[in-house]
Amino acid sequence: MVQKVLIVDDEEVLRMLIEDTLEDLENVETHTAENGGEALARLAAEPYDLVILDYMMPVMTGIEVLCELDGELKSRTPIMMLTAKAQEMDRNRAREAGARYFMPKPFSPMELLQLVEDILSEKP
Amino acid sequence: MRNLKLKGRSIKTKYYRILLLLFVAIMAGGIGLVFYINAQQEQLDQKREVLQHKTATINELAVTLSEVFFRARGYVATQSENELALLNAAVKGLDGILEQYSSLKLSAEEVRYRDDLKVFYEQYKSQTLPEVMLLVKNNDYEGIRNLSQSGSTRAVNEFLSYTKQFKANSDALLNELNSRSIRQADTFTFIAFMLSTLLLLFFTLLIWQMLKVIIDPIVKLEEATNSLAAGEAVMLGKLHKQDEIGRLYEAFLNMAHSIQDKEEELMMQNEELHAQQDELQDQQFRLERSLSEIESMMKALNQTSAVGILSNKGVFTYVNDNLSVYTGYKSSEIIGYTYRLFELHNIAEPQVEQMIRKLSTGGVWSGETELETKEGAPLWLQLTVMPYLNDEGQIYQYILIANNITSMKNVQQELAETLKSTEQTSMMLELNNQLNHEITYTLDKQEFADKFNQFMNRLYSFDSSLFLLVKDKIAVVKGVPPENVERYIGEGSKEILYRLSVEKSYMVKRVGSVREQGISANEVYCYDYYTTVVNAEDEILAVFCGTRIGHPFTEEETDEIQGMMNRVALAIERLFMYEEIENGRKLNQDIVNNVNEGIQFVGTDGVIQHINKALSQLFSYEDWTEGMLIPKERWMEHFTLQVNESEELGRFYQKAMSEHTTESSAMKYSIGKEDMKHVDAYAIPVFRREVRVGTLFVHRDITREYELDLMKSELVSTVSHELRTPLSSVLGFTELLLSKTMKPEKQLKYLETIHKEAKRLTELINDFLDLQRMESGTQLYNVEKVNLSETVLSVIDQYKLSGTHHILLEDEALNPEVEVDKDKIIQVLTNLLSNAIKFSPGAGEIKVMLHNEPGSIMVRIQDHGLGIPKNQIGQLFQKFRRVDNSASKRIGGTGLGLAICKEIIEKQKGTIGIESVEGEGSTVWFRLPVMQAETGHPEEEHSLRWSAGKEQKPDVMIVEDDYSLSLLLSEELKGKGFRVTHHYHPQKAFDQAVKTPFVAIVVDLMLGDELDGWDLIRMLKNDPRTEKVPIVISSALDKDDKSMMDNVQKYLTKPYPPGELSGTLQEIVDIQLKTGEVLFPDNGEAGHGAALGEG
Repeated sequence: MVQKVLIVDDEEVLRMLIEDTLEDLENVETHTAENGGEALARLAAEPYDLVILDYMMPVMTGIEVLCELDGELKSRTPIMMLTAKAQEMDRNRAREAGARYFMPKPFSPMELLQLVEDILSEKP
Repeated sequence: MRNLKLKGRSIKTKYYRILLLLFVAIMAGGIGLVFYINAQQEQLDQKREVLQHKTATINELAVTLSEVFFRARGYVATQSENELALLNAAVKGLDGILEQYSSLKLSAEEVRYRDDLKVFYEQYKSQTLPEVMLLVKNNDYEGIRNLSQSGSTRAVNEFLSYTKQFKANSDALLNELNSRSIRQADTFTFIAFMLSTLLLLFFTLLIWQMLKVIIDPIVKLEEATNSLAAGEAVMLGKLHKQDEIGRLYEAFLNMAHSIQDKEEELMMQNEELHAQQDELQDQQFRLERSLSEIESMMKALNQTSAVGILSNKGVFTYVNDNLSVYTGYKSSEIIGYTYRLFELHNIAEPQVEQMIRKLSTGGVWSGETELETKEGAPLWLQLTVMPYLNDEGQIYQYILIANNITSMKNVQQELAETLKSTEQTSMMLELNNQLNHEITYTLDKQEFADKFNQFMNRLYSFDSSLFLLVKDKIAVVKGVPPENVERYIGEGSKEILYRLSVEKSYMVKRVGSVREQGISANEVYCYDYYTTVVNAEDEILAVFCGTRIGHPFTEEETDEIQGMMNRVALAIERLFMYEEIENGRKLNQDIVNNVNEGIQFVGTDGVIQHINKALSQLFSYEDWTEGMLIPKERWMEHFTLQVNESEELGRFYQKAMSEHTTESSAMKYSIGKEDMKHVDAYAIPVFRREVRVGTLFVHRDITREYELDLMKSELVSTVSHELRTPLSSVLGFTELLLSKTMKPEKQLKYLETIHKEAKRLTELINDFLDLQRMESGTQLYNVEKVNLSETVLSVIDQYKLSGTHHILLEDEALNPEVEVDKDKIIQVLTNLLSNAIKFSPGAGEIKVMLHNEPGSIMVRIQDHGLGIPKNQIGQLFQKFRRVDNSASKRIGGTGLGLAICKEIIEKQKGTIGIESVEGEGSTVWFRLPVMQAETGHPEEEHSLRWSAGKEQKPDVMIVEDDYSLSLLLSEELKGKGFRVTHHYHPQKAFDQAVKTPFVAIVVDLMLGDELDGWDLIRMLKNDPRTEKVPIVISSALDKDDKSMMDNVQKYLTKPYPPGELSGTLQEIVDIQLKTGEVLFPDNGEAGHGAALGEG
């Protein structure tokens, strides 16, 4: 069964990096969105098994995207926050908003890959 | 009225009337009689006269007639003319007499006679006489005789006979008349006699009657009078008469009655007189008794009082023993002297005069007088002086009664003195009290010293004094010249004070100075008392020196003064202490007021006791003044309402002020919305001797820190984000490269990405450092003279090859020379052009414009790109601000570019700004101050030439890909007043040429790869909108393509002097001006060209 991962980041290079990192995973399909609005549209359209969400985006931040999502979706969809903001405060805010996993920028693609694998395998 | 009434009834009137009536009757009778007699007589006389007259007339008539006849006869007889004349006269006379006779009263017979006579006369006169005369003349005597016998003279004869008869008759009548008058006279005599008799009788009757009326009552009256005189009662009946007698009668009766009444009254008075006499006797008796009493009183008076009698001249005529005893003068020494012997001590001269005046008007004077006994001892007398008046009311002597009140007076005086001294003591006490009060309540040293000196002077009457507070050199003086004061406060004061510091107080007796001696002729002694106020440590706090002239100090006084000094010592120490405290308080207050923190002290009752300036400013509570107490509710409401966190602040206040709170607490709050202030407040409970006295609140305005903090954290997070993103790429792709096997193309792509991102990272770090350097002021600017046109062109030149965007320059700036750091300006231009290119991904044209502004050169870079939302324009020049939208995000950038540009331009004294419409594009502009030395004379020249205003400068296009040549030409052309548009791309040049009315287009033949100059010329000539635009070729190539030469105005072969180009263009413009040729007919902008033509 194919699992779907949504990558949301305003930086094209990073979207590419993440996509390329995850491309080796079997049965995993990656989709990208370059801003919050697009991400919300995609999430509304189809269910995802994981959302990798950049924290710092123009117009709509990662937190704001989380706040827009309804709780039911958040409870069944693991959300990983990619954030340059390593501060505890931001993390807490993100956690409160519904993010379950965190990956600080700059990240190691291998670590990311491992984490994504773990998350996806945990999911029934 | 009564008189008038009585008049009619008076006897006098009655008899006057009767007599008057009688008299009138007699007179009337008599006069009547006389007249009657006279009338009778006259009548008779008249009759006689008429008769006589008649008789005479008749006689005359008869005579005349006789004469006439006589004359006639005479004439006839004599025929004498003389006789005729006489006859005629007689006839005439007859005529008159006849007339006279006719007028008489005639009887019938006489009338007949007269008529006959008249007829005869007429006849005689008219017929007979002339006839006779004629006859006479004719001597016809016959005729005359006939005539005389004819009877004509009969009437005459008859008349004559009548005349004789008449004469006889009238004589008889006359006689009768005479006898009648005699008879008449007899009758009258008889009548007169009868009347007289009657009159006499009447009178007799009258008198009798009168006697009867008057005499009777008089007789009665006489009797009554007699009886009255005899004292008998008059018994007279009423006489009802109202005439004089009646009235007399009545008057008499009244008189009799009144006499009787008076008599009775007199009797009564008499009785009264008797009674009075009795009383008088009684009084006399009593008078005698009181006289004896007075005498005894006098005796007693003599015993107790001094009595003296003075004459009206004030000379003593009598003195009693007492007076001698009192005064010590013997009576013989007093009597004969005036009162001036005794000098009145207590009574001044004017008062003495007043007293004398009072006495002389009969008044009594009484008063206390002080005089001297003979021995010179004081003598007080209670003196009473009264004048004695004689019968005429004049003063003839004065009685003087005096009592010795000397001993009483002495007692009184003693009493007064005692009272006075008591008063003085009480005044002293009062003063002391006041002094105590003043020195207790006065907190001002100067005031204290003033008051103290005043008190000392009032208490001890110094002539001059000085009070000096040693430490503060406050000196208060009375009557001391300043130079003397100087001794105490000036340089040598220590020496002066030395003696005092040893002795504490001393007294000096000295001879007074001239000033002190005053008007005194003799030497005066002055007494100076010097004393000190010392504290417990035996330090001199104050010095007091007082001088009294001629009035030494008693020991009592010096003791008192000393005591005073001791008392004052405490007060002065208190003053010093107060001042110290006050100074300390003021210092604290100043500190509190001048710290930046708002300080608020609230008492335990919640009332604000003090707030400082900073706090009143913070909470806009400017009307607070020191000492004002603001109740809790008021300030709490005022404060909390202004704060955004009202409730929290309220709770904070309540909690901090609660008595259970012993720890300090803190909170942060903010005030205002627009420019929000952030405040850090903390509260500390304040205890004094372990008793809570209130709470101190300190409000620190941390807005700046807050903002800085915010900025810093924002910057850090932004920078970290900005750094982390490229870093993520670099790290991530490297890791992928290292950990995965992949195709070489992918590897290359990864490496390119890594390279790009690493470059971006470097750029970012460089920019950041640049900006940091600039902001911190460590950036050095290498300022030089720069031609902005050239610089702009050179920058544009670098973008020429990028191909995606066409950059055109519209340069009309004259002498665009500025003093800047060229590299930095290039950085700015590059930055701005990059931005313009980046943010206009689709639209290819970017326009750079240069033009002059007063004192500066303006550079504008216009794109037709994304534009910027209005609300974000203001933030663009801040660090890490990029237009927040996905489109711009894709473009990337450090977000520092504009901030750096702003920093650079502003450091070069320029300004920078952005105008933008979202979706339409942006224009970034900056202006730099032009170098002052070379400004626009040439421009002025050309302004004249091309008429005023930029708009009408002729536009020239240069299509040239060598920027240095382009610049050279443009400088030349700008100098000649053209506006130059640069192009290096033929297609773009053409695109603009169809839009803008150029006077000429300068084309370089060797242009880019795709199209060359010939292509452009062809395009221009083939387009109806541009076919007429003159074209000048500027080329290094020789003219070879002859076919095109027709379309070219001028061919300039490089190198040529720039002046040649400008000259050529000048000619072209001049021709156009002359012909008024419309250059731009087709695309609706004919107006522009036409305007140019007219210009």
